[in-house]
Amino acid sequence: MRAYGMIAVLLAMSALTGIPAAAQQVGTATAVNPLSERTPPGAATVPLTVGARIIHKERIHTTPSGTAQLAFLDKSTLSIAPNTSVVIDEFVYDPNSGKGHMLASLTQGALRFVGGALSHQGEASIATPAAAVGIRGGTVTIVIDRTGVHVIDQFGIITIHNGAGTTVLNRPGFEVTVLSWNTPPGQPERVTLAEIDRLLVLLTSKPWQNGGVPGLHTVNIGACGILGLQSDNCPDTPWVPTDTGLNDANQIITQGTQQGTGTTVRTGPRGGP
Amino acid sequence: MQVERRRAFLRRFAGALAPIGLLVLSALSASAQAPSDFAGNPSPLFQAILARPSDLNNTLQYAAAASADDIESAIGTYEQLLFYNPTLSRVRFELGVLYFRLGSYELAHSYIQSALQMRDITPDLRERAEDLIAIIDKKLQVDQFTGYVQTGLAYQTNPGAGPGAQPVLASGRTFNSSFFSKPDWNWFGAFGLNYVHDFENQNGDTFEASAVGYDAEEFRLHQFDIGLLELRAGPRFGIPTGNPNTSLSIKPYLVATGALLADAPYYGGLGGGLTVHTNVGRVALDPYAEIVQQSFRNSSFYPLARGLSGTLSTYGLQASGPLSNGLGWQSRLGFGHASDHYGPYGYDVYAADLWLPWNFSFPGDGRVWTLNPSAGVSRWLYAAPDPNIDPAITPRSTEWRVGLGLEVPIWKHVVLGTLVQYRADRSNVPAFTMHDLQVSAGPTLKF
Repeated sequence: MRAYGMIAVLLAMSALTGIPAAAQQVGTATAVNPLSERTPPGAATVPLTVGARIIHKERIHTTPSGTAQLAFLDKSTLSIAPNTSVVIDEFVYDPNSGKGHMLASLTQGALRFVGGALSHQGEASIATPAAAVGIRGGTVTIVIDRTGVHVIDQFGIITIHNGAGTTVLNRPGFEVTVLSWNTPPGQPERVTLAEIDRLLVLLTSKPWQNGGVPGLHTVNIGACGILGLQSDNCPDTPWVPTDTGLNDANQIITQGTQQGTGTTVRTGPRGGP
Repeated sequence: MQVERRRAFLRRFAGALAPIGLLVLSALSASAQAPSDFAGNPSPLFQAILARPSDLNNTLQYAAAASADDIESAIGTYEQLLFYNPTLSRVRFELGVLYFRLGSYELAHSYIQSALQMRDITPDLRERAEDLIAIIDKKLQVDQFTGYVQTGLAYQTNPGAGPGAQPVLASGRTFNSSFFSKPDWNWFGAFGLNYVHDFENQNGDTFEASAVGYDAEEFRLHQFDIGLLELRAGPRFGIPTGNPNTSLSIKPYLVATGALLADAPYYGGLGGGLTVHTNVGRVALDPYAEIVQQSFRNSSFYPLARGLSGTLSTYGLQASGPLSNGLGWQSRLGFGHASDHYGPYGYDVYAADLWLPWNFSFPGDGRVWTLNPSAGVSRWLYAAPDPNIDPAITPRSTEWRVGLGLEVPIWKHVVLGTLVQYRADRSNVPAFTMHDLQVSAGPTLKF
């Protein structure tokens, strides 16, 4: 609650004062498909291009063909779908201590936030018309459409809060739908694969687009386990079972033999959960 | 002398545990370092991404470096690359694996499925992608079944774990020659079945059950024919930690075991336990405590078995984690205390085991091979001298075991499993000293 109070105060202060934020870079546009636009505070709207410096209170808008990705100083990223409007309301980050806070507003469209240092401390929030979304972790996809605001937990602890209540998502793969600020957030539900597939298409380039950086035709990444290539990205795949019953059988036979021969016997700490 | 022997044992036991301890500490250390990557100045590679995002070489280097311990940062960077070329199957696959590691199985499924639809996908990547999709499909089910069925032939130099020829014991009794060390072949079959029901709540509560079966029929020494079935079941309750990187759950369970030996009912056990699961970074920790009421039945080959009946209490810690590319570790430390009806049969046992499973593939072949070396030691401290063996000596034994398993992929979910295992027991009672070499091979179906 304290975080939301602080966010509210910050928003109120910025709205009341109307003072342009210092033009301090908080991130970079790392990929841009046209047409995407930026509106720095107190300046005119211009096309967004790769490498553009993102500053406080900057508004990013994408058209029906536009998508973009922003990377921030704390290593978090925002992937922005077509027809989306986002404002970077606040971004304070001290790289030495790793502390600060981030607040963005999504008023239209869809985005995926992939967490960095600030969200790992629970200091990242995204405001929407129907709810404030607090992120600890974490990776979250937020969609605004005619049926409400949809918040999908992709990793981490996601808190959905509005004027009517709070719902917390602890598990990836669950979503909450919120109709309005004065309607309690819904109960967590499993997100469907079809919905995730649809969002995956929305949140990256179309096959004919290149994000503003041409020339990437191939990558040489070794999949985990393939000899001779480098990649530490290994899934935690199931290992060979270590309790196939053989060890238990050996112990039973051993104790049987010792007992059967007239010697002593023994059993052991077989198995385990 | 007793004190000296105990000290010597403790030194040896500590020596055996040292490698496991080092592994755990190194893994904990590695996992503890991951968050600190966010504090302090960002790496030069990341600073270069902010300054020159179109520098593809830099972005690729950063993505590869971040994959090991900074999953989200790697995700952001690979998604950046996908903006530049959304038709790269390798990037989509990497993203799928990264989300899989986060437990975001829907998104992992979506990325890997889309990788399969890309024109540039290679046969080896397709095979790996299809394998991972199959795993994810199971994890997305409310009722999840996994398991294996295995059969094969085994040769053992000493299937009964009997001593070498020793016609007369210290007690003056004559040795039963049926249990001398003799080699034999056997046919064996084994299966394991795990069931998980996901209650789909935000705590991650589940109901879990497992069954393990093993049967071995000797070619000549039928006194060592054995059949074993063990069932475990219980609910697992998730406990919110407030930290998405740390899971915590607790599981009470019931365990029931039955065994036939020499084709006659031999052993039944019924009990329960409590286990906790948590993780530190990518190191999984599962401490447990279990108590089982054991009941043994006499038979013509084993006329004194009933004396083994009693209570067995076990306390242990299972741990596992990754070490590097495809290489992992798994260990179990345990302590058991048995109070048997026949006093001298009671004992304390300390045990430590370590496995180092290594999944690997050959270039151009997406199939996964697994090499699994293992080693373990148990120290048995019996309660009292057994007048049937040696009325003057309280038995003390140390068992060492080493093994090497290899799983060779044959066809889809079928592998050819081979195992070489050597056990050696040294004891202050000569009749307890034995050694056994086992070589087994056979197909295994995993599902």
